[in-house]
Amino acid sequence: MNANSAQHTEGSIAELQYQIAMYEDASAYKSLFFILFPSLQNFAFSIVKSRVLAEEIASDLMLEVWERRKKLMQIEHLKLYLLVSAKNAAVHQLKQENKQARFSIEDLQVEFVSEYSNPDQTAELHELENSIAAAVKALPPSCQLIYKLAKEERLRYKEIAQLLDLSVKTIDNQLAIALKKIATAIQSGRSEKNIR
Amino acid sequence: MNNDRIWILQARKLSGEASATELKELDHLLLLSPEAQPIITEVSIHWKELPAVDADFMEATWLAHASRMQQKGHPIQTDEPELNTDNYPLEGSVISRKFPLKKIGFVLFLAAAIISVVLLLLPTQQKPIAASALAQTEVITPKGSRTKIQLPDGSDVWLNAGTQLKYNKDFENGNREVYLSGEAFFDVVRNPAKPFVIHTSSMDVKVLGTQFNVKAYEEDLTTETSLIKGSVAVYLNVAPEKEYLLKPNQKLILNNNALANQQLMADKQPLSKMDLSPMVSIQALTYAEASETDVESSWTKNILSFEDELFPDVARKMERWYNVEIQFRNKKWEQQYLSGSFEKENLTQALKALQYSTGFKYKISGKTILIY
Repeated sequence: MNANSAQHTEGSIAELQYQIAMYEDASAYKSLFFILFPSLQNFAFSIVKSRVLAEEIASDLMLEVWERRKKLMQIEHLKLYLLVSAKNAAVHQLKQENKQARFSIEDLQVEFVSEYSNPDQTAELHELENSIAAAVKALPPSCQLIYKLAKEERLRYKEIAQLLDLSVKTIDNQLAIALKKIATAIQSGRSEKNIR
Repeated sequence: MNNDRIWILQARKLSGEASATELKELDHLLLLSPEAQPIITEVSIHWKELPAVDADFMEATWLAHASRMQQKGHPIQTDEPELNTDNYPLEGSVISRKFPLKKIGFVLFLAAAIISVVLLLLPTQQKPIAASALAQTEVITPKGSRTKIQLPDGSDVWLNAGTQLKYNKDFENGNREVYLSGEAFFDVVRNPAKPFVIHTSSMDVKVLGTQFNVKAYEEDLTTETSLIKGSVAVYLNVAPEKEYLLKPNQKLILNNNALANQQLMADKQPLSKMDLSPMVSIQALTYAEASETDVESSWTKNILSFEDELFPDVARKMERWYNVEIQFRNKKWEQQYLSGSFEKENLTQALKALQYSTGFKYKISGKTILIY
């Protein structure tokens, strides 16, 4: 997996978007669903903290994509557009439940083991990966989210900044912090091994 | 600090944000600090790892979404056999309790879809051998208390109030079978050579992974198995050749009433050939808002938790938790939905808290609470 695959997906989304808009191609829509749904659901989940609600939000958004298929090419960055919509829907959901008058970006629950990923892979993590995971979990929630959006969702800094209402400089700093923490975790994992 | 600059640049490089100038600067900095290179490499490797997508689960999720689209008037047809909604029951008929209107049966369709894509990999579950009455260990938790025990193989089991757990002497020799009546949370020591099986009166749970909750109170309307980590396979006693595989954050709910009704009507037709979907559903676990614990196993952390549940169901949980009896004297409170969690509250505090958000009245008479 390298940067190429990110571009590959980006290109895929644009191609599928075209197929859906021009030809009402249902199997293109299904492929688009496979690419976008987990991202939307995971992101919504970090805000609403309920799998059921997150699924509904993601499903509603994908439904809207199909409903507006004829005019789909009007949206330039589809993934970002949908993530922004997911955020709005999720925050709206929170307000409806009266949980919070104002939504704070620190009040998130970021999950790194997606329910859409293969359990066999994630079941047996060895020590080093465990300590990296722990280090990431120890970061402030907003930092975790930025890290996840950059690493897994492959969003550009500008896109993350727009999605979360932050500056690009903040993204720079937060990712540097995250990488440093991971490096420290790797290093202490190493030194422990040497001591044994 | 120079150190941070390396990380800023490295992050940019990994994200594809770095300009040519920045890449040069990074190389230059690494030349100055060669000891940083191995760590940088490790971090890069970690960054580039992406978990593989579980194709079956995505397929099931897609089917659920497609059903929902159809239900909302936007049917979508790809080149697959069309989802026949006659075989997959709509909301309301799957389990006994009513869903609030807001939650259209997304997870219910997901349940139906998952059942349809599960592959029967394991051989037929054999009927459990009757437990020998002589060499059995029995653990019972009375109402109002919870306990934690450790099984001979090192597995941990938390028993909720009003629960009975039994296992034979040959558990130590590797026959890891327990008999459960009540509710328990299992953290099972992984041993693929010695499968761990839980028998309840209506279903067997075969453990393939590690952490899960089984709720099998005989007097309840449903029997549930919730999976937190790992994987389990569930077999219904009435149809043991059918296997339901659960993935993390799913639970399987068996409607005991529907099961009893089916058994009454099924003397001519073997139950295993009948459509079991009205009795069984697989759902996502409920996560209480603003809490990191799923509702299903929160009791192991001494939290009584409920999320959008009918008052009578909550009352039953409270009965066991506080060792009391709760009776409804007004039908309207039986339709009330509640969400909440109690950690250190005593009974009166809990009742007052619920009262505050709903407005019911209550009267305590000995060990019985009347809601009206």
